[in-house]
Amino acid sequence: MKTYIISRITQALLVLLGAYTITYVILYLLPSDALSLMLTASGVDADTLSAAQLAEARHHYGLDRGVVDQYLHLLGNLLRGDFGTSLSTGSSVTTLLADRLPQTLMLAGCAITLSVTAGVGFAYTATWLRWRPLRLALRRLPALGLSVPVFWTGLLLIQIFSFTLGWFPSMGNKGFASLVLPAVTLSIPSAAIYAQVLMRSFDDVWGESYIATARAKGLSRAQIQWRHVLRNAALPILTLIGLQIGNTVSGAVLVETVFTRVGVGRLAQESVLRQDIPVVLAVVTISAAAFVTINLIVDLLYPLLDPRIARAAKVT
Amino acid sequence: MTSSSYSVTRRRLLLSASAVVALSATGLSTIISEAKAAGAPTQGGTLRIAFLRDNTTLVSIDPFQVYWLEHRVVLRNVAESLTDQNPQTGEIIPWLATSWQISEDGLTYTFNLRKDVTFSNGTPLNAEAVRIAFDSNKAFAASVPATFGRTYLAGYDHSEVVDDHTIRIRLSKQNAGFLQATSTTNLAILAPESYKRTPEERSRGAIIGTGPFVLKEYKPEIGIKLARREDYAWPSKAALNPGRAYLEAVEIQYIPEESVRSGQFLQGELELVWPRDPFSDVDIKQFQSINAQILSRSLPGPALNLYPNVGEGRILSDPLVRAALQKAIDRKTFAEGVYSADFPVVQGPYDTTTPYFKSQAAKLAYDPDGAAQLLDKAGWLRRDDGWRYKNGKRLTLVRPLQTAETAGDVLIQDQLRQAGIELKLEVLVAGEFLTFVSAARYDLHSTYMTRADPVVLQTILDPRYTNNSALSINAYPPETLKKVEAFFDAGLQTTSSEERAKAYAGLQDVLIDDNVAFPIYERLWQAAASPRVRDFQWTSEGFALFNDIWLDGTA
Repeated sequence: MKTYIISRITQALLVLLGAYTITYVILYLLPSDALSLMLTASGVDADTLSAAQLAEARHHYGLDRGVVDQYLHLLGNLLRGDFGTSLSTGSSVTTLLADRLPQTLMLAGCAITLSVTAGVGFAYTATWLRWRPLRLALRRLPALGLSVPVFWTGLLLIQIFSFTLGWFPSMGNKGFASLVLPAVTLSIPSAAIYAQVLMRSFDDVWGESYIATARAKGLSRAQIQWRHVLRNAALPILTLIGLQIGNTVSGAVLVETVFTRVGVGRLAQESVLRQDIPVVLAVVTISAAAFVTINLIVDLLYPLLDPRIARAAKVT
Repeated sequence: MTSSSYSVTRRRLLLSASAVVALSATGLSTIISEAKAAGAPTQGGTLRIAFLRDNTTLVSIDPFQVYWLEHRVVLRNVAESLTDQNPQTGEIIPWLATSWQISEDGLTYTFNLRKDVTFSNGTPLNAEAVRIAFDSNKAFAASVPATFGRTYLAGYDHSEVVDDHTIRIRLSKQNAGFLQATSTTNLAILAPESYKRTPEERSRGAIIGTGPFVLKEYKPEIGIKLARREDYAWPSKAALNPGRAYLEAVEIQYIPEESVRSGQFLQGELELVWPRDPFSDVDIKQFQSINAQILSRSLPGPALNLYPNVGEGRILSDPLVRAALQKAIDRKTFAEGVYSADFPVVQGPYDTTTPYFKSQAAKLAYDPDGAAQLLDKAGWLRRDDGWRYKNGKRLTLVRPLQTAETAGDVLIQDQLRQAGIELKLEVLVAGEFLTFVSAARYDLHSTYMTRADPVVLQTILDPRYTNNSALSINAYPPETLKKVEAFFDAGLQTTSSEERAKAYAGLQDVLIDDNVAFPIYERLWQAAASPRVRDFQWTSEGFALFNDIWLDGTA
């Protein structure tokens, strides 16, 4: 068990370092000139500066260090929790993130709760039903949920629930009501995946021999589905939740734009447009860290939920 | 300088004003529409405005640095200027200064200030505050030469405090646009306290002005909140409301998604939608379904022009091809097709609301046959595939675009296709875009600035004023550059309106005669206002005075 934990943690740290390094290389070392991008983002035209001013600016942004030196310097700052300063707004990246992160976390939290509830509930009902035509129809539905683009769902929900029925606000960050539509929009694709995967697992588990045993013991169909099938089929969902969290920032870019919400997704989009390199680096690193942490937790939870995994690790 | 020059200059200005009216009177009703009302204004309420988006390139709300139109709308109501400009005539009228004198040589401007004005932090507006404002702006322009305010301040040397309410401004060289510059948001006077802060702090909202509203909050990409100043009593002569604002607050949001923006407005959750691009026919019909008012004003300054790259070896270095290009563009269809039936057709390199505008409409007619003849003559011959070729090379022009292409860009592409010219639209992100343009890899490029004085074109097209930006260097063959520079200088060196009119008429002629500017459309700025919005008036530069606006039916 100890080896298992250590190997998982090492793996997580390596993935995080890799994500950071690749982003650094893309932003700082690719052919585009980092200095002129940074100057432009700060509202200065590089063409208008003298050689001495350029050298000074290069020093100011730390671009006059060697590649390795600069990389280690930025990494060192990062480990101390210093993400640097946003080029375009002049405020510290940490402040920007502190301002935006809670909004996105709230959105992601609601979306994940919703998609797990809806996905599991859907699969449970679809498997439980006995009437074949309805059962078949329900089984096709998740594919639809997955293939509809998020922004379109968002606009549709706004049209119906904000503009026609007037139940929820169409935009903004004010209160729980403004969270409902964006969270629903963001949860639909994940809910569809959960439902699809779970229905598949349900089918597999229903065919297991211990189900036959349970039947033989005289348990009702409802008791079997709840006690035996669900518990055994639910494990893959845990992995999927880990993946969904990783997709939160990219999902939030669209959802936060459609619903005019303030959050990390829009921060990412704005900083890419402004070529605000330190902010982009910070957002990518943070979302990579969230992804890695959640997956680490999932990996560590697995042996607790399914003792077979820990035992298997001991044998090899 | 003599004080008698005041009356002379005043008379000249009035003359110039009437000349402006005569020049731009054509089609005035379609290019300016406002929300005037009868009845006593109602007090209170919040005006909720939606703009398209914030500036992604320069995050700043510092008046001197800001070129972003939406920010200037807001700043007009927070920070005020020495003078104002009559939106109908272009005449410069009193605001923070009650009167002024300009010396015969055009190098000394003396302003007499109002004595009852205070900044929102309580400090009085006096000659010393004005001096600090001008000197701080000069110092900032020296440290960041590319800043937008620099051309407004061109020639500024120093200020002398004559007495508490008289300031004398000395220029080191003539700048005929200076008096108009003192009326703009760009040279608005902030409190000395604001200039003690760093430019970055001002950019993020440390703006203290004398305006009818106070800047409560600026959150980049999210919005702006303004609150009414209760003791305000010194509006410009152009304002209808003599005292404090009727509205208690103004809330501005950036809503990037068009359907959400329009939907909110139709639901009555916004009083004004004010995107950058003019409305299409469909938008207007939708807004009219709730009896919304469509407010429009053509923005002074250059029209939406394309500028060529005539560098060596480029296709557009051939004057015949440029002449053909000018004829191949169907501006009337553009205005009707992209926007709406009564959308004004562009008439020259300047928009019609620019002082000293001279129509070039006769030279800008759509003439496909003429274009074809010119291209044949230039050796670009049409092949069976519809395109024109010369020495096996296709007639392909490249135009870089930022973010996304619009319906208008594609329409121009199609119009040129009919003439056998291929227009490649390269959609680039901000960083790539800058490199692409500065490396002169384009054939046609476009940019614009808004200012109600023709000197604004120097910011774009005069290499001596643009720090040699690629666009201004590549736009002219050498002989055209000489003529253009001479006209720009003539327009700047005299404060006589007759002389200025002559210089800018010459400039407008040469830009079209030598085909170094290709006007596409009049930059009409439109807002849709809910039926409750009353007394919305455009300022000369296409902004609005929020202190005039009131909401009908507010409790």
